[in-house]
Amino acid sequence: MNGTKDYDKKYQETFRYTFATLKIPESYIIEVPVDIPFEGSVNELSHRIINGFNLPLYVIEELSSELQKFIDKSSIEVYNRQTVEAIDCIKNETIEVEDIVKYWEKAFKEETFSFTDNKGPSNDQLFASAFHKLAHSGPSLDAILHIEYGYAQAVQDIMCRKSRQVKSLTKTQTEEMNYAMDGLNNYSTEEDINALALKHFDDQTLIQGKWNSRLDTLKQEQRTGYREWVMKSVEEMQGVDGLYSPIGNSPVGVVANGFTISNMSLYDMEESFTIHLGSQMKSTHNIRIMSADTLNLLRLTLHENGTVVHHPQRLQTVLELYSQDLKGLILFIDTNNLDFYSGLAKEFFDICEGSTEFHFNSLQDQLEIIKSDLKVAVENRKYKGPVSNFLSPELQARRNKSKLLQCGDVYITKHSNLASVHLVFHMVIDDSLKSGDINSRHPVILGLRNILKTACSYDITMITIPLFLTHEMTEDMTVPWCQKRAELVLKCVKGFMIESVSLGGSELKTIQFLVPKGISEEVFGILATMVPTIFRVSTPLVFKSSETEINSQIKNKKNTKNKRNSSSK
Amino acid sequence: MTCNCVDAPVPPLFGVQTLFAAQHTSESCGANGLPLTPNSITILGRAQKLRTLNHPNLVLHLDFIRKQHGRIILVSQYFKRSLWTETNNYLLLLPLEKVLSWTHRVLDALTYLNSNGVVHRFLTPQYILFDDEDNVKLFNYGLYYMTNSGKNITFPIGKLKYTAPEVLVLDRDSYKSGPKTDSWSLGIIVLELLLGAQLWPTLKLSQIIRKILSLTHCTDVVMRLAREMGRLTMYQSLPDELKDFLGKCICMDVKKRLCPKELFHHKIFSAYEYSKILMNKCYSCKHPLRQMKLDQVYYLWKLAGGDVEWALKKKGLLRNESPILLLPRLIILEGTLYGNTRNQSSLLDLQIVELPLDLLVNRLQHLKITDYDPLIDQVNKQNDTTEKLPLVIREKDTEYQFRRIILFDRLLAAFPFKLDKLLIEAKKDIPPFFRGEVWACLLNVCGDTESIYMSIDKETAGVTDRQIEVDIPRCHQYNDLLSSSVAHKKLKRVLKAWLVSHPKYVYWQGLDSLCAPFVYLNFCKEHVSYACLTAFVKKYLNDVFLKDNAAVIREYLIKLSHLIAFHDPQLANHLDEKGFIPDLFAIPWFLTMFSHVFPLHKIFHLWDKLLLGDSSYPLFVGLSILTQLRSTLLNSGFNECILLFSDLPEVDIEKCVLESSKFNDATPRSITFRKYELRTETREYDPCLMYEVLQNEFSPRISIYDLVELKSSSLKFLVLDTRPQEFYIEKSIPGSLNIHVREEDLVDENFDLAPCPELSALVNNRGSILIVVDNVFELNKVRSFCRFLVKKEYPKVCSLHGGIEALENFNILVPAIMY
Repeated sequence: MNGTKDYDKKYQETFRYTFATLKIPESYIIEVPVDIPFEGSVNELSHRIINGFNLPLYVIEELSSELQKFIDKSSIEVYNRQTVEAIDCIKNETIEVEDIVKYWEKAFKEETFSFTDNKGPSNDQLFASAFHKLAHSGPSLDAILHIEYGYAQAVQDIMCRKSRQVKSLTKTQTEEMNYAMDGLNNYSTEEDINALALKHFDDQTLIQGKWNSRLDTLKQEQRTGYREWVMKSVEEMQGVDGLYSPIGNSPVGVVANGFTISNMSLYDMEESFTIHLGSQMKSTHNIRIMSADTLNLLRLTLHENGTVVHHPQRLQTVLELYSQDLKGLILFIDTNNLDFYSGLAKEFFDICEGSTEFHFNSLQDQLEIIKSDLKVAVENRKYKGPVSNFLSPELQARRNKSKLLQCGDVYITKHSNLASVHLVFHMVIDDSLKSGDINSRHPVILGLRNILKTACSYDITMITIPLFLTHEMTEDMTVPWCQKRAELVLKCVKGFMIESVSLGGSELKTIQFLVPKGISEEVFGILATMVPTIFRVSTPLVFKSSETEINSQIKNKKNTKNKRNSSSK
Repeated sequence: MTCNCVDAPVPPLFGVQTLFAAQHTSESCGANGLPLTPNSITILGRAQKLRTLNHPNLVLHLDFIRKQHGRIILVSQYFKRSLWTETNNYLLLLPLEKVLSWTHRVLDALTYLNSNGVVHRFLTPQYILFDDEDNVKLFNYGLYYMTNSGKNITFPIGKLKYTAPEVLVLDRDSYKSGPKTDSWSLGIIVLELLLGAQLWPTLKLSQIIRKILSLTHCTDVVMRLAREMGRLTMYQSLPDELKDFLGKCICMDVKKRLCPKELFHHKIFSAYEYSKILMNKCYSCKHPLRQMKLDQVYYLWKLAGGDVEWALKKKGLLRNESPILLLPRLIILEGTLYGNTRNQSSLLDLQIVELPLDLLVNRLQHLKITDYDPLIDQVNKQNDTTEKLPLVIREKDTEYQFRRIILFDRLLAAFPFKLDKLLIEAKKDIPPFFRGEVWACLLNVCGDTESIYMSIDKETAGVTDRQIEVDIPRCHQYNDLLSSSVAHKKLKRVLKAWLVSHPKYVYWQGLDSLCAPFVYLNFCKEHVSYACLTAFVKKYLNDVFLKDNAAVIREYLIKLSHLIAFHDPQLANHLDEKGFIPDLFAIPWFLTMFSHVFPLHKIFHLWDKLLLGDSSYPLFVGLSILTQLRSTLLNSGFNECILLFSDLPEVDIEKCVLESSKFNDATPRSITFRKYELRTETREYDPCLMYEVLQNEFSPRISIYDLVELKSSSLKFLVLDTRPQEFYIEKSIPGSLNIHVREEDLVDENFDLAPCPELSALVNNRGSILIVVDNVFELNKVRSFCRFLVKKEYPKVCSLHGGIEALENFNILVPAIMY
């Protein structure tokens, strides 16, 4: 509830006990302060009083009954006092009645099922359950994949045509421009050229706009069609129990060629470990270290020897979309204004926009919403001041002033059209990360901790972390640098994993450490051997039955040998 | 007189509810710098006290389960009929006597709760239940207590219209409610009952709140309420005592409002002879299960496949929204989340789901009525195949556990009479349901432990308090119950009580782990945990907690080395060669009796056996752990060994227990004789030695008593007499083998015995206990010869303590006949 400041308020009352014996003319008065409300054992306190004041043991019964009476009386008094104050508050209206009404109304409406306004699942949730049911019912999964594939192709188609037309337009424009430039002061003036440039620009915008709106319309149509189809299919499926093939009414019609699923490993190198955490009670987790292109983990289709193949993990991702087993990936972003215009971010953006998002908002829309969240966050940060125990005061002060995202802040986008993950954690980084000597208090490491904690509260059971906290190999990344960075990240992640076990959320079943593509086999080998030194690798299960058999056989042999010996003797 | 019949139907006896604990705000640490305990764990810890409450007018709490993301599941006794259903939603006017009788029972229950520090705070007609015989059973009385007066939850407790006005103010500022708030609620309920109408049945939430607040301004609240219900005349026709009673319940001036205890003695209850009302007696057939204790039935129901979660799921109370829809959008470095959606299913829905017992009834269908009430001495007659199954399976077998519970229930009730029988049964296995009690019996805990414990001062600060406070939050914290603050407090109290009552001893790190299993098993009986700990330490860890315990620990570890050499010479040689001595790994094993090394569920099985063995049993456990790691150890150098033990791999505990008892059986008692163990007497020829002496020996010593005993036992043994032949001929142990060696020879690294008939006899007897005997002054020779034999990988080598001279008094020496 509200604050807890007054919560454990205790009143100290003094307990008086008079004690007399025949030998002493006067009686002793013993005074003991007692906390009210009293929590504990009256009997025990009486014993303590007797020991403390060296009283004879025979007074114990009288003393504890006196004490009990005293405590009962004082507790009632304390409660009475509280109650009187409270009732006076209402009577004298020192507390605004409306405040109380609002508080209680809110409490009941927001926290209890019987008073809540929005009973029942939300639309998104309805669609989620429908989709989950459909995906988990035999033939439908096939249909889902086919439709997604067909739709993605349509989008790709338009994008191809768009880029083709843009290309040809650019080509004609360049030619025109060149021609105009060539004839400058001859058959054309500067004004002409400016006008031409302006016209070219307008044309470009026009054509871009035309295609974009076409693309948007297509995606909108696809999305509506897809969602309608899912709901309809589920309804029909419930009607006919058992054999139901939704392919018939698929909105894309029959998709002729099936898809080839890539059977090539996505990773250049990989090594997996099963590890144990905890000293007494051990929990089991999987750790994988692999070298791969980050974005190849996300692309729906891959190009393999000139042919288009499908991502092998896509099936799993579809099945788990609304389950309690989510998969996440950490992407590092070096800009702090939520723009996806350059570098890896741009490529990521293109992958997301390359097919229709059927389940969640488009990436662009998600980013817009996050921007508004950020405004709230910045306000809070400004007024509430420092809240983290881990940050240095200077850093905290700097953070509180800023209106932008800072190093270590994370935003999350959800996706249904990426190959092997459902959500992406975008962590903002800065140049300080390049240095060799960052420690476990670095904002990025703390951000990592926040991510793992969030993962536990939201059933994200698999997470991919770039081991070097970067996606590409650069010149500065020497072997010692790599080792040092890997050690830091592995150790910190281990600590966070141990910590998260006690949070009582879902468990992190698998942690993948991603190493940039192009790392040398030698360095990868060093890193791979590092894992078992930092984590406790579980010992493989050994079947002992055969071994004992062999032993007993040997024993038998020995016995016979011995017997022979003895007989020879 | 009711008739028992195994075919009688069993109605559902338990009800289950679920709620969510509040989540901590992002970045918060406790005062000790450790992360805050999740609220769900705090609730779990507090709730344990409710299981101890036992009153004829309260339902029993049976189980509290903590699930992911802060969900708590409550299982308690439940009855379908409530005040609400009985009065047909208040449409039915009931006879005054009946109302009064019920009210009196409710007050009795409330008084009992108050005396235990519990306030109901959730009184509604729906939570006043009736059993088959019309006894009042109060329900949901623990919610306010276990959530620490609502501190650990986000939802409000109570039904608004029954809530006292001051609660609306006090609860908001998180003040604790006193017992008089229940008087108010009960008053309103009784008023409704008497007038046969509901108060404010159609008003909206906010209107009710306003109404309650406005009551503060009126003088006669009861009258006003009666008017609002439209039954003023009816109210006025009520007897005066009754009006007075209501006035003492529903009263704005809290000093005039009585608490349940005072109301219980109100004159109205003596004025009306309600005791003559006919109670609803149940004469139908009853299933014998219903004679069993409710918690036993619940335990068996779970074994029979009863699934609380499934029951909740079936009623739609456990639906989970897809986590991807709830995800936050932004995580600020400080740890605050933005954009997350509230999980609708985490709203409070206190619907009660009944748990049908059909599963259990079907499972036990073929049992006869006599199985429910057997004669204890005849129980073991049945030949059950289940007994041969592995322990883990037996612990999950409903019928087997049913029989065990029935049996142990009687044996425990008879304790200490029938202790011998209890020991025999405990040797088979200890039923998990009774583990705490059986352990206490095995440790011979009896007498008034409670008042002894009461009289110990556990509050006054001590020197080791700080250390204890640091250690406890690191002790078996994977366990929900032990990680709660209530458990921390209990652990601390028990530890302090032990320290205070044993001034000779000090707190050594590890005592906390030792204490944990007892506190866990006797969670609500601190005094039993204390008594168990005391008895346990006395028996197994005598003097280990001395301030200077070097001698005791040393001796223990040397004994382990000896035991390794005795049973596994190859391993002993290897460890000796690498210099990997038990001091490097076994101290925490013995200091905590493995409770620091294993998780609780493994400790339970281990200690089940340990408690039946004597004080040297732990050594055999240590040995059997080493045997399990044997192959790894034999292939490891010093560093690998250190690493291996720094984070011990999984150990198969059942195998460990089996092997350790095998080792125990194959080892003469004096091999593990320790100077510092607790024993009643030390005989003259017991190998009672300083550890400095023992340290120089690689193999253990055997006492003459054991040698004499060996003769009559089935264990194979061979005495090796290393004296020169002439002495051997003159006087030796009959059947002994004379292999004369000289001390000088043994110094040589490459020394070997020359082939001779005696050697082949020795070879043939590999595997028997080899007892090396010489004159008492030839100590060094005996040592070296033992070492030599171990090097040759002869198992079970030991030397006779006291030498041949010791045997003089035993009249067994005879002149040897040479062939």
